[in-house]
Formats: sequence, C-alpha cells, structure tokens
Amino acid sequence: MQTPSSSAVAVGLVASRLLLATATSATDYLIHDHQLSSPLTSFRNLQEGIYLFNHGINPYSGGVFRHSPLYLSLFATVLPSSKTFASILWTFCDVVGAWALVKIWHARQNVSSTPRDGLIAASYLLNPYLVLPSLALSTSSLENTLTLLSVMFAAQGRASAALLLMAVQFHLSLSTLILIPPLLMLLISTPASSLALPKPFTGSTNRLPALIIEFTAYALGLTAASTLVCNGFSWVPQTWGATLTLPDLTPNPGLWWYFFTEMFDHFRDFFLMVFSVHLLIYVAPVCVKFQYDPLFATFVLAGVLGIFKAYPTLSDPGLFISMISLFPEIYPHLRHPLVTALLHLHAALLLPLFHQLWLMQGTGNANFFYASTLVFACGNGAALIDCVRAGLRLAIGKEVEGMVVIQE
Amino acid sequence: MILLPTLCLLFLTVAAVENESFSEDVALRTLPDGRVATTFTFNTILEKEAPRDPRTLFDDQDESQHYTLFPLSLGQVLREYAVTELHLTLNAGKWDYDKWGYPSEPDVGSGASLWTWMADGAPNSIDARWSGLRNALAGLFCASLGTLDEQRTTSPVIPFAPEGSLPDWGIPHRLRHASLASEHVCTENLTPFLKLLPCKGLSGIASLLNPHRLFDADWHGMGIHVLWDPAVGVQVRMTFQTVTNPLRAGNIRKEDWSFRSLFDRRIERVCPVASSSQVSVGLPSRGMYNLKPEPHHITDNMGHYDLTKDFEPMDVSIKWKNAFEYLLEPITPHPMPISFRRMLHGNSQDRGQLVVTLDNHLDNAIDILYLETMPWMVQFYLHTMTVEHNGSVDNTLLSNLSYIPPVPHAQPATFQVIVTLPAQAHIKLSIDVTKAFLRYTEHPPDAQRGWDLPPAVFMPLDASPLDAKNETLTTYPRGKRIYSSPMLVDLATPDFSMPYNVIIFSCSLVAFLFGTIFNLLTRKWVVLKLDGEKEKEE
Repeated sequence: MQTPSSSAVAVGLVASRLLLATATSATDYLIHDHQLSSPLTSFRNLQEGIYLFNHGINPYSGGVFRHSPLYLSLFATVLPSSKTFASILWTFCDVVGAWALVKIWHARQNVSSTPRDGLIAASYLLNPYLVLPSLALSTSSLENTLTLLSVMFAAQGRASAALLLMAVQFHLSLSTLILIPPLLMLLISTPASSLALPKPFTGSTNRLPALIIEFTAYALGLTAASTLVCNGFSWVPQTWGATLTLPDLTPNPGLWWYFFTEMFDHFRDFFLMVFSVHLLIYVAPVCVKFQYDPLFATFVLAGVLGIFKAYPTLSDPGLFISMISLFPEIYPHLRHPLVTALLHLHAALLLPLFHQLWLMQGTGNANFFYASTLVFACGNGAALIDCVRAGLRLAIGKEVEGMVVIQE
Repeated sequence: MILLPTLCLLFLTVAAVENESFSEDVALRTLPDGRVATTFTFNTILEKEAPRDPRTLFDDQDESQHYTLFPLSLGQVLREYAVTELHLTLNAGKWDYDKWGYPSEPDVGSGASLWTWMADGAPNSIDARWSGLRNALAGLFCASLGTLDEQRTTSPVIPFAPEGSLPDWGIPHRLRHASLASEHVCTENLTPFLKLLPCKGLSGIASLLNPHRLFDADWHGMGIHVLWDPAVGVQVRMTFQTVTNPLRAGNIRKEDWSFRSLFDRRIERVCPVASSSQVSVGLPSRGMYNLKPEPHHITDNMGHYDLTKDFEPMDVSIKWKNAFEYLLEPITPHPMPISFRRMLHGNSQDRGQLVVTLDNHLDNAIDILYLETMPWMVQFYLHTMTVEHNGSVDNTLLSNLSYIPPVPHAQPATFQVIVTLPAQAHIKLSIDVTKAFLRYTEHPPDAQRGWDLPPAVFMPLDASPLDAKNETLTTYPRGKRIYSSPMLVDLATPDFSMPYNVIIFSCSLVAFLFGTIFNLLTRKWVVLKLDGEKEKEE
C-alpha cells in the first residue's frame, strides 16, 4: 500500500465516521447501549454530572455520576458538552489513537514509515468494537486513546509525557493501574521486538525510582486537583470506589455484573476482593516472562483488562484486538485464530440480540445475556491465550520434520 | 351491688380526666359524583403537657404516664423516642381530586406514610430514634412500617412543615419522612386503631367503624396525628376517612344513604367520656332531599347533631326525591386549583421517561411546589428535564430546583422544584430516568410485579416567590398538599433460581483462563522427537 493512498483511506474513514456521528441519529440510538458505555463511561451520566455541578449540587453526593473530576472540570469549563462537539472530539480522539498505534509500530520497527501503516490505522479505525463505543460517545474511547498515547510516548522514550498521560489514565480508570509496570519497563528499555530472542531484562533499572517518583507526583497532583474541583474527597468512593465495590449492576459485556447480581450477600465482599486482586495477579508473571519485550507485556495485560476489569465496554477488548496488529511476528504461531474469530462473531451477534430480548422485548431473561457475555469472555480469552502462546512459541523457531514442540 | 363499683369507677374517671379531654366528630358530605365522603375525627388532648425533650432521654426518671383517655401505648412510644410531632397515615385507593376536591385530611397518598419532627441533640442519634419509632409503630399498628428504612427516608421540610408548634429548646428540629406505596390497609390496622380510643369501638361515633363496610369503600384511609400546641397541650388526632358509593349498593339509582346503609350500624350509645360528640352532615345545594332526623343546628351548609344532649339511638339518613344524574361534564368551577397526571413512559426495563402534566384551572398564574421522593431504583437525568407550555419548550417556568441525588442501595432521591403555571396553562414536564439493576436479594418476593413508587406531592404556593435556600419554616406561605397516585415501575430481574450456577460458571471461566495463562507462562518449552526420544532445547 502506498503512503498517499493510505492517507487518503484514513481521511475517507474519518470523514465517513464524522458523517455517521453528526448527520445520522446513530449516536442517539447507541448512547443508551449497555455494551458500548458502562455507568463509568456513559456520556449521559457525564452530562448529568455537569448539569448537577453547574447547578451547585455536588455530583459525587450520589446518583449516577461516576466519572473522574478531571472529566467534570474539563467538560464543565473548557469544552462544550453538546453532542455535535462531542462527536467531533470523539472522532478526533479516535484518529489520534490510530496515529498513536502507527507511531508505536514505527517505534517497534525503528523506522519512520512502513507499508503496513495504513493497515494498522485501519485496524483501529475500522474495529467495530472501537467504532461503536466512539459513536455512542463512551468515554472509554478517550481512555483508549490516552492509553495508546502513553504507550507511544513510552515506546519513544519520552518519560514525562508517558507518565503524565498514564497518571491521567489511572485517574480516569483505576484498573489501568496494572499497565504501569510494563510501561515503566518499556520506558527504561526498548520497544523493539525481541520475542524471537528471549534474554534477561537489559533496561537501566537505576532510572526506575526516579520514574516511579515522577508518576507518583503526577498522580498526587491530579488527586489534589480533583479534590479541589469537588471540595473534598467525595469523588473517591464514587469513581475509584465504584470499580472496587460495584454499586451499579448495569449489564455490560464483562464478567462482574451478573456475578455480583447473583452473589449471596455475605460473600459479596470476599468475591469483590477476589475479583479485584485477580486482576493484579497477572502483572508480575507477565512482566517477568516477557521482560525482554515489555511492549508485548503491555499488550497481554491490556488483554487481561479487556476480559476481567470491572465495568468494561466493548472498547476494552477492542483495544487489545487492534493492538494485535502491532505484532505480526506472532501470526504464524497462532493455533486457533479461526475459532477465536468465530467465538467473537458468535458473541458479537448474541450480545445485542439477547440484550434486546431481555430488556426491550421481555421475551428472554437475564441468563440469555449472561450466557452471551460468557461466550464473549471465551472469545477474548481464546485470543489472549493464543497470543501469549504464540509470543512464547516464537522463540523456539520453525518446526522441523519429525520433531514436535510442546510444553512440558 | 353493681351500682357501687360503677359509681367508684365513674368518680375515679372524672377525677383523673381533669387534664385530659376527648372529643369525637364525624362529618359526612355528598360528593358531586354521588359518592359520600365520611371523616371520623377523634381528638384526645393532654392539656398543658409538652413533648419530651430528647436530651432527657437517658435520664433515669421520665415523668409518670398516668393516662386515662390518652392512649398509653402511643404515649409510651412518643416519650420513648421523644417525638414532637408525628403523622402516620395508612390509605388505600386513589383520591380523585378532580371529582372530590380536597379531602378533609390532606394526607391521602396511597399506602403507608409516616413523617415526624424530632429534636436533634439527644445522646442517641435522630436516625436511631427514627428507626426505633418505625419499628414501634409497626408493632403497634400491625403495618410493615419497619420497611420504611433509610432507602425510603427523606426530609423534604417545605411541603411537610409542622402542623403544630415546635418547642423552643435551643436545639434544631429535624423532619423524617418515608412512604411505602405498596402497603395494604385492612382490618388488622383498624383493630389497634380502635384500641387507642377511650371507648374503643363500643360506643359513641367510633361504634360506626365497622371493618366489613369500611374496607369495602371505594377509598379509605386512617391517620394518627400527634402535634403540640403550647396553648392546648399535646394533641392526638385520629382520623378515618372513607369514600363510599351508595349508587353501587342499591338498585334505586339514588344516592340515598344512612348510617345503616353506609356502616351497617347506628349509634346506640354515646361515649361517656367524650366532652363533645358531634355528627355533621353536609347539606347538598342541589336537588330535593329529606334529611332525618332534623339537625340540632345548621352552620355553613352543615347540619350538626350534638350527641351529648338528649341522646337516643341515632341513624342519620338522607333520601332524595329524584334519581341521581351522572355528571357528563367536568365540574365547574373546578374543585381544585390544578389537575395533574404523572406517568412513566417507555417500554424498556432499563430506562424510561417520567412525564407530569399540570393544568392550571385558575385565571391567574400559580406557583406549584413539585416534590418527588424517588427510591434509588429510578434515577433522574436532570439534564434532560424539559417543560412544555402549550407545546413549546419553556424551561424558565422551573425555579428553585433542589435535588439530593440517590445513593444506590442506600438512600432515595429528593427532588423539589417550583413550577410556575401561567393562567389556564397546560404544562408538560418530562425527565428521562434510568432504572437501576438490583441485586437478586433486593427484589421483593413477587419481583415481576414491579416496584411501587411513592406518590409525588404538589403544593400550591401563595403568591410570593420562595427562596428555597432560605428555608424558614414558620414564614412559609403554603397551600395544601396534593398527592398523586403511586406508580408501578418494571425493573429488570435476574434469574432467581441460579445464583449457584452463575457463581460456578463465572468462576470456572475465570479459573480456566487464569490456569491456562499460567500454564503457558510457567511451563518449559520442549522439542520432542516424534519417535519418542526426548531432546530438550530451550
């Protein structure tokens, strides 16, 4: 693919996206959808919070508003919160996300342009799991962009920018915390692919304390700013606390909501702890195993987040799926891409269908939608397992006639 | 032989009754649609007494409660929790304001409703006392008032200002209000009600309270109101209101009624301790009728009978000459300043739209205070609130918005706004709402039936505009509370039969993915020769 044509494709994609968002009523229809925006990322809840804030009512005193004070201060003062403007902003963020993905690819390959650029941008801009939440004005799209920008800066070695964006992202969505260790590793080593040549970690670890202190300083600064915005710490239980205690059981494509709807009251706290700690369990092993390729570790942990985080939307697994395009070297070693794709197809058809049957038609019950979220988790799990396996298998090299590669 | 103890008893009664008085009253009036509204009022006054100061709650000695007429079981509850003012109503049915006008007792919201004013500053918190009071009253009246918990408690001080006075103890008084629209009112609530009366249901006007007939009425409701007036003392007003339809009972097509036809009883005896016992009958202004017996005196279109003088068994009856003519057109002038409708639109189980229409029947603009005490299951999107006046959006008609957001699983929302209704205006107020998803243990046993949302309250305000921030209770110009009917909201339900299955399925999946990933990460890669001879490579 030639560079001019790929940029033409990108312009075309962006224009059609804008047209879809502003000229059609797609946004009005999708904005309510539980799969595209969770209570923590819904644009309507954001508007409600801004309304309450502008009317002198503390939006964190209860109710539906669970967005970070950073969003609140941004949208209540600097940015207008009209839907048309939001559509433009969201499209712009998607473009920035795609651009960041291409830049990460460049950093990994250590070149300034490749023929795959168009393909990588398209994998972000055409990914339905990312397009639809963005049309629904889910703030998870903005968070994805921030994550990608932060990874991009880390891959380019620009520590302050990467850490600042990561701190912002940590404020917007608590579970992104687990991406911080691989990002720090990425900052002190190289983004280049060494999946094929595993070696002990080579980064300069003596830079690590400074980086951690810098990140902490940013995070504390943002916490102070948030506290100033809402005159106290009332935002903490409403935003971060919601991720840990799951007060809102609105359905989403994740695993938490139905589990805690059906949970026995006396086990609720225990299982909330288990589900929260479970996310952290992956960090150390993945970072240790992929110490030679922290970008791949970031990618794997993004996949973990897409499956297991509280209040996910389709854009969380969407980010993982789009990031697969950064690692073409693992494609030959994927064992069951077709099964994964079919699982995703299956889930993508079942999720909206069963959601509609349960809540609108009243002909299906909650179990239908729950079952489709399980299928979706299986699809994401299959993709994650396959990628991890391929990433490890790559090091063994091509299979020779008469030999077989297995794990002991 | 019998005479002596009776005389003694009488003497004792008279001696003790000195600072207590009891009066009873029943008022009947024919409504424009042919129904008959009956209001029983039983007043017990504890003269020159004051409510208990909550700061004395943990003192060893409370003053002795030697009541003769005053209901002891209620008095004990009031003193135990230092309640200054209390209003408990248990109603069934929908009061049709457009046909019946204002009720004699304003609190006609469906279901159970309890609101109290208590002084804050006690050694135990006001919420602890409120909780104790709810449970005590639940026991006293056999009603599920215990479920009026924090998830239903609000304190909207403007529409629920105290009826009596609040003692000036130098500590603030607080309001606690809760309502339960799904509460059913029946004879098990009437029995304890009658037990609080000095003559029970045996004599006097209370003997008309025949449960078979009362609970057959189109609308019925009972109320206990405790208030304090420094000039009078502590007053307990117990009320029972019914709206019966005489046209339904007979085949004579006349709205004739008598005590016999309404209550299947007549007043056989007077209550000996009642200082006043009065029957009032509204004299209809239309048609020809015959009221028997002749009223003792007539004031303001009301005929009054005084039962305490020259009593003989009494059965008041009205007989009409002509058949009843059903109203084909709305009553003019309209009996109410406003009419309203409240609806929840939308067929989805996750969101909807609350629509309130208000009609002003007056020729001048009027301010209406609109109050919603919404359980957290239904959450408002206030930014979508719009007001349509004669078809065009005009949000300037709303002012003084005050909103306490709901807290999921904990606290309801209190939404209060003043709507300005221009003369003869038709106004439509709509708010998008989102319906919460509940834990499976939070659903009631019959979950598919839905949830009853408490009635909204409208209150016409007198001309001067209010400053909601400057809530000085005494200076508030206020009209009477108007209650909407409750609403039913359909919430999405999980499957109640399979908590185990869900836990097992989800945990299995998590364990499988976790296990597989850790297998991949921890196990060593080996290259095997297919003929079985093993050769390690990694």
